Amino acid sequence: MPQFFLNKRLIILLVSIIVLVALIGFSLRERSKLSWPEQFVKDTTGWVQSLVSKPTNFVAGFFENLQDLTNTYDENKELKSRIENLASLEAQVQELKKDNKELRDVLDEKKTLRDFEPLPATVIGRNPDRWHEMIIIDKGKLNGVKKNMAVVTASGLIGKVKNVTQFSSTVQLMSSMDPKNRISAIIQGETPVYGLVEGYDKEKKLLIVKAIPSGAKIEKDQTVITSGLGGIFPKALMIGKVVEVKQDQYGLNQTALVKPGADFYDIQNVIVTKTNMIPVDAAETTDGKEEES
Amino acid sequence: MKKFLLPLLFLFLFILESLYVQYVPVEILGRNSIVTPHFLFAALLFLTIYVGKKQGIIYAAIFGLLFDIVYIEVIGIYLFLYPFICYLVSKIMHIMQTNIVIAFLVSLLGIALLEVGVYEMDYLIHVTNLDFMSFINLRFYPTLIINAIFITIAGYPFKRLFEKHAEALRAD
Repeated sequence: MPQFFLNKRLIILLVSIIVLVALIGFSLRERSKLSWPEQFVKDTTGWVQSLVSKPTNFVAGFFENLQDLTNTYDENKELKSRIENLASLEAQVQELKKDNKELRDVLDEKKTLRDFEPLPATVIGRNPDRWHEMIIIDKGKLNGVKKNMAVVTASGLIGKVKNVTQFSSTVQLMSSMDPKNRISAIIQGETPVYGLVEGYDKEKKLLIVKAIPSGAKIEKDQTVITSGLGGIFPKALMIGKVVEVKQDQYGLNQTALVKPGADFYDIQNVIVTKTNMIPVDAAETTDGKEEES
Repeated sequence: MKKFLLPLLFLFLFILESLYVQYVPVEILGRNSIVTPHFLFAALLFLTIYVGKKQGIIYAAIFGLLFDIVYIEVIGIYLFLYPFICYLVSKIMHIMQTNIVIAFLVSLLGIALLEVGVYEMDYLIHVTNLDFMSFINLRFYPTLIINAIFITIAGYPFKRLFEKHAEALRAD
């Protein structure tokens, strides 16, 4: 037995397993911000990454443009047909906007859940092991990014800010599995139906919307948007379109599978939505579980 | 300049992995496949095989920690697995003779071990709930194929570089 403990390699292995468990436990617990050595390392590598990724972005963009050129004719035809409707639609939108503003003035409601300030950012890195789906963007605390802000692309919501350092921040995509990451959503039918986006089906590549009341009528191709309830995500960000509806395990709720509007695998430019409804600091201090429900 | 060559090479591979997942389409090997590049780790394994256990494990620990902090935000997974598998590989190389084919096979084995190890750890901390068989089909085989291609291309330059480095170390 004494010889067993004298085995140097075994002791090193045991000690390193203990250190491993301690470190994983340390980094998994609910943290409001990263420790300063982590922030320092992330900022330094973020700087190097942006040095490399900006030129590659440029080159990739060039090839994408070349690809686009080949479909120009068909696209032009389709766009022309759409532009005819655009003028009348624009007039309508103007009218509605004016109406909305007047009514709001009457009610004396200045702020809405819809308001946000867009902050464009460029993706400078992505997690190579595709378990924790995360991207790194080039805007950080100095640009006003805060934890839990929603991040969108032109075609829809992609995730939320997970951690912020001075010059960069990490965005957790909706395709990563995290039981704490719930987003309140509205399915737009004749009457709006509320549900929670909870998880992602990796094999089908669809989002799972749970906790939909069982009586609600949901059809294929209805649009799903954020509800803005919870106060952290702004209202009316596009999430996706319904593909399939099924009964829950116990028949109390329905579950919808939603095809995300944004492509989670081809992301180059994103927009961080800075809300000003409630100070995000206040939400940060609450337990992470209730933040987005 | 020569002193910084290795760290710069590893840093380049470190960023290359991130660029790979950003720009190479995910469905490169068919619709249901997720490919994980392990270019950095392949280079670390070649370093272990051609230069030595000590160098390999030190570099593996440093870059494992960097990987954890920058990409994963869970410290410990790669910090533990990189050096541990480098150590196992150095043990295997004690009974094998060092030639390029053996190095290729052993580093592929190392990458396979890493992929399974990371899966098991992520399963343990509830980052994933994929069952083992779908993990094998969805991620394991495609990952091995892509990394095998990478090692075939980069294996010989790595071997030359690291052999030179080992000679320089011996000369000191």
